[in-house]
Amino acid sequence: MVSEFRYTDEELIARFQEGNEQAYTELVNRYRDRLMSFVFRFINDMEKAEDIVQDTLLKLYTHRHYYRSIAKFSTWIYTIAGNLAKTELRRKKRHRVTNLSQMGTEESEYILPSVEPETGETAQGHFAEKQIQKAIQELPLHFRTVVILRDIQELSYEEISKIVDVPLGTVKSRINRARLQLQQTLKEFR
Amino acid sequence: MDRYQYEDLISDYIENNLSMSQRKEYETYLANHPEAKEQVKSMKQLLGSMKSMQVVMTSNLFTDDLYKRIAAEKKAKSVVKTTRSFAGYTPLMAGLSAVVVIAIVVLGLEFMPVNTNQAGFQPYAAEGKELNIPDNDGISQDVLLAEADDDSTEIDVINAEKHDFEKRIHLVGDRRP
Repeated sequence: MVSEFRYTDEELIARFQEGNEQAYTELVNRYRDRLMSFVFRFINDMEKAEDIVQDTLLKLYTHRHYYRSIAKFSTWIYTIAGNLAKTELRRKKRHRVTNLSQMGTEESEYILPSVEPETGETAQGHFAEKQIQKAIQELPLHFRTVVILRDIQELSYEEISKIVDVPLGTVKSRINRARLQLQQTLKEFR
Repeated sequence: MDRYQYEDLISDYIENNLSMSQRKEYETYLANHPEAKEQVKSMKQLLGSMKSMQVVMTSNLFTDDLYKRIAAEKKAKSVVKTTRSFAGYTPLMAGLSAVVVIAIVVLGLEFMPVNTNQAGFQPYAAEGKELNIPDNDGISQDVLLAEADDDSTEIDVINAEKHDFEKRIHLVGDRRP
């Protein structure tokens, strides 16, 4: 068994590229929940998020030789997951437009995510999280990606810059503006 | 510092990325603008809440499903490998291509003329025989050659009719008689 603390992600992927399947299992265990959090916060759909994380990890398996050790493994895997999530959002948007254009002729299958505020003292913390999740969905995609990676996934600015493939200064500016917009949206919710 | 500069630097201030002088200037602005101070406080709370958001876990069946998909992927690849065994063609495609090629060759042979030498060149000279031109209905070779001389394409310069088009051309605005 590959020990969790003995190898870095980069060492694990190198071992996996050499044919060690246990290294793959270890990478799956390390990243499945992190990726799930990232994708769910991004698309706000549990079922789809799980599918996307599976697709990401399947791609890791089938395209393992595409990884080059010049990049951090986390950067590579987040890039794959982010691209798949964006594709899903575009597909969903098209689906929504189709449904709206068919409105009145047949029953809509589009289900809005459940983000209604809860009431009561005990639900206060949970309520805040749901509000934040709802406010994140209001952000444009390029703001949403960076703010999730920074403030929920706690990645460094440099790493985010590589994942989204934009200059560091732009990333910092986008994160700042995304936070201000989130704050404004949450204020309007109250 | 104006409001725009204050907003641009809010993340840097919270994350301690400002220089000493910038930080002092920022704090002076906050001291003079209570609503800005309140916004910074609110922003810190928001970032704290986001950091403490629940980790979203995958379902219990996640790993099983993933390995099932990997197994299916492997199986699909092995099927593709076995079928593509004739230089990238499936056995069916390779067989059909062979049948078509054979059919073209057979049909080609079927429609080819039987005696091709009738229409072709007969190399008498090469075989050392005299060239035997047919009799041309009894007309001798000399007569034919003499007729051939009359058939010349030479232009008779002396008798050639001269065409003077000058009188026939009327230019617009030409006042000549």
